[in-house]
Amino acid sequence: MTESWFGQRRRRQLQRFLQKGKLTILCLFLTIIVLRGNLGAGKFGTPETDIEEIRETFSFYRKRVEPRRVLEEAETIKNDDASASGNNYATFDINNMFVDEEGDDIKPDPNKPYSLGPKISDWDEQRADWLKRNPNFSNFIGPNKPRVLLVTGSAPKPCENPVGDHYLLKSIKNKIDYCRLHGIELFYNMALLDAEMAGFWAKLPLIRKLLLSHPEVEFLWWMDSDAMFTDMAYEVPWERYKDRNFVMHGWNEMVYDEKNWIGLNTGSFLLRNCQWSLDILDAWAPMGPKGKVRDEAGKVLTSALKGRPVFEADDQSAMVYLLVTEKDKWAEKVYLENHYYLHGYWGILVDKYEEMMENYHPGLGDHRWPLVTHFVGCKPCGKFGDYPVERCLKQMDRAFNFGDNQILQMYGFTHKSLASRRVKRTRNETSNPLEVKDDLGLLHPAFKAVKFYAVVFTLDLELPFPFLSFPVPLPPPLVGEITFQSGLGSE
Amino acid sequence: MGQESFTAQKRGVGAAATLPTTTPNGGRPAPSLLPRGRQIHKTFNNIKITILCGFVTILVLRGTIGLGNLVSSESDAVNQHLIEETNRLLDEIRSDKDPDDPDNPSEPEYNPNVTYTLGPKITNWDQERKSWLDRNPDFPNYVNGKARILLVTGSPPNPCDNAIGDHYLLKAIKNKIDYCRLHGIEIVYNMAHLDKELAGYWAKLPLIRRLMLSHPEVEWIWWMDSDALFTDMVFEVPLKKYDGYNMVIHGYPDLLFDQKSWIAVNTGSFLFRNCQWSLDLLDVWAPMGPKGPVRDEAGRVLTANLKGRPAFEADDQSALIYLFISQRNVWMDKVFVENAYFLHGYWAGLVDRYEEMIEKYHPGLGDERWPFVTHFVGCKPCGSYGDYPVEKCLRSMERAFNFADNQVLKLYGFRHRGLVSPKIKRIRNETVTPLEFVDQLDIRHSAQGSSGSQS
Repeated sequence: MTESWFGQRRRRQLQRFLQKGKLTILCLFLTIIVLRGNLGAGKFGTPETDIEEIRETFSFYRKRVEPRRVLEEAETIKNDDASASGNNYATFDINNMFVDEEGDDIKPDPNKPYSLGPKISDWDEQRADWLKRNPNFSNFIGPNKPRVLLVTGSAPKPCENPVGDHYLLKSIKNKIDYCRLHGIELFYNMALLDAEMAGFWAKLPLIRKLLLSHPEVEFLWWMDSDAMFTDMAYEVPWERYKDRNFVMHGWNEMVYDEKNWIGLNTGSFLLRNCQWSLDILDAWAPMGPKGKVRDEAGKVLTSALKGRPVFEADDQSAMVYLLVTEKDKWAEKVYLENHYYLHGYWGILVDKYEEMMENYHPGLGDHRWPLVTHFVGCKPCGKFGDYPVERCLKQMDRAFNFGDNQILQMYGFTHKSLASRRVKRTRNETSNPLEVKDDLGLLHPAFKAVKFYAVVFTLDLELPFPFLSFPVPLPPPLVGEITFQSGLGSE
Repeated sequence: MGQESFTAQKRGVGAAATLPTTTPNGGRPAPSLLPRGRQIHKTFNNIKITILCGFVTILVLRGTIGLGNLVSSESDAVNQHLIEETNRLLDEIRSDKDPDDPDNPSEPEYNPNVTYTLGPKITNWDQERKSWLDRNPDFPNYVNGKARILLVTGSPPNPCDNAIGDHYLLKAIKNKIDYCRLHGIEIVYNMAHLDKELAGYWAKLPLIRRLMLSHPEVEWIWWMDSDALFTDMVFEVPLKKYDGYNMVIHGYPDLLFDQKSWIAVNTGSFLFRNCQWSLDLLDVWAPMGPKGPVRDEAGRVLTANLKGRPAFEADDQSALIYLFISQRNVWMDKVFVENAYFLHGYWAGLVDRYEEMIEKYHPGLGDERWPFVTHFVGCKPCGSYGDYPVEKCLRSMERAFNFADNQVLKLYGFRHRGLVSPKIKRIRNETVTPLEFVDQLDIRHSAQGSSGSQS
């Protein structure tokens, strides 16, 4: 009897032991799980990464921007294989090199409304006075030809996209060529003047600063870095704008009636150097400051403008909004140009280049031969664009070559095709080079002829006696034939 | 345990009334009496533990195996495909292959009897040019008292082997744009190989000739390499000094004639007058250039004759030096070998001293106190490998760029936060009378010569 009782007791002990064992193991597992949640467990990850993974797997938006991000990743994957050598450029990470020695500027007071600078109210008088005192820096360099400064720019750090800088280089070469032919000065900006107005708003403080520092400039022509000249022979019709201060590509109906957010384009525009322009810049700027102001303004713009998606305020939508809400104040001096492509959306132009070359000729500037092809949305320098990479880059090459052909033909060459970087001869070398004229007359065009000028100005200026003055505009036939004496010396 | 107590309970229930004194089994302990509530409680405990164990098991399994494989791996495959496509696209953009290249590129036949020429011989360029200028007074060769200069530079049409190279090409051209705007000089940026045979550093020869002949209104053509940066924005080339000369090149006469060194002059930055003499010099310079056996053979001749030259194919600089030495009395009376200022400034001795220069000197000197041009020979940021450590080259280029950019930004009231920083800081507050600073600081006002013209 004792034996069986002992066995049974034994059994019960065993069972109890097992149950306790189960409890212990359970608690051990729980501890491990809790530790993983708090400290992580190496390759087993943490719950945060799990959530990220789940999000990514189920996120469809990400798929759309895959190509751009992949472009950047593809580069880094390739570079990992390169040998680490001190002389090898491929393995060098430039971001380690940049050092900002002096500390950040004092943060602006968040309660004060943003302003581009202290308000100036007598800019027209100050400028007229300066022009009088500096006759060598006249604001007109020819009859009907104001002094123009073309302004463009890009970020000071290398592009995130590995071929972005190459396309920026081609784009600036394209602008250098156009500006050389047309006697326009060029300013390439690589400095962020105001950290609050970063991104597309960065042009506002820059434009204001340039207008005030270059009183000799009559028109400032802002052009985005992703816009290219495709008509090298077209000269902007300056006399059309003699009573206007702000010229943008757009349509009056789309802006004032439809309130469409793409009714005009601020990627390529002309701004006169005058008080009115300073005032419109001041009125334009308030939606720009980064952060809450810009986001809130974005919401206002999306609700007010037709077709605008939801995102932070951009300068183009803000301009449409400004013109619509303060039409009486500004519209009189704003010219929305659509007779030529001061800005030409690339999507509808790039496939037609061959057709244009067959049927038309440079110098038209419009849909037959666009002045500017603007690659909106391509963002070759950045990580994410709105269009497939291949289409953007290939078409930018074609647009560049299309414009470059007009430059090369001056020297007797042309690209082998619009997709090719190679050039071929179209005109043999001769021993009488000066008898040969280039087809488009771009080597010595009329709009580049040097005229010696007397001081010309703003309309109510009184000119001191030794200077001759001429009314503007002069009848065209006289332009090529007359040169004028300046009052300070003889030819 | 539960089972046992249950059965014991059962038995207990069944035999509630009588206490069994003896049982047929004998020796079995008395079953414990458990109320019903306890039973349910115990059941719940079991279920709880089961669920808990199940949950923990799933978590642990997920931690080791992961759920990723269970959700579609389709996105991974798409990603991979995109990466491959993009790599292919990048390679295509970067490669030298062109959609218009013939499938079997034929080697140009090498005919040793034919000397390469840049073009048909022109003998009366000076007269032709003068009569053109007379007929076209709208395009004078002197504007406002200054000779018309055309700055020529360029880079290959393909993207650089690595992205940093393109970025520094961009910064270099911005630097040149700034200098040329301040001094009224026009720029031609070339990205085309005008002559397949004269590729590489020789490409400047056909380009310079072509530009001279197409632009008779240009008085001086200034070739500048893409790796040379202006570091003195105020200094102007003193053209009056070169009235009797047709070529201005930086170098040292003793290195050239006495030592016959291959680095006696530098063809990275030089000026050529637009005249017959220059065309003749180009014609005599070119024959060592054509790619292939000619260039290699010429390289051997140059290495044998010039001091310190390593063995490689003929380059334009060594060829010019050889020409100057061997035909000294033909050419040298019209060549000005300049070293009073850094028309070309070798970067290694200059870049570390920028802070010292800022402290002690001022722009406008152009010489070793404030170099006119800093030339990054040997860095080759557009290629894969340079002759110097990458970090040193890029850091120095960034410093030189910012050193120059500070001089441009001064008019606008800004300056870089240190010579390696891309960010800027304000050094002058905005005012309501900006024009007083324009008069003081605009470099063009000091550079502007007297008006009027001369032919």
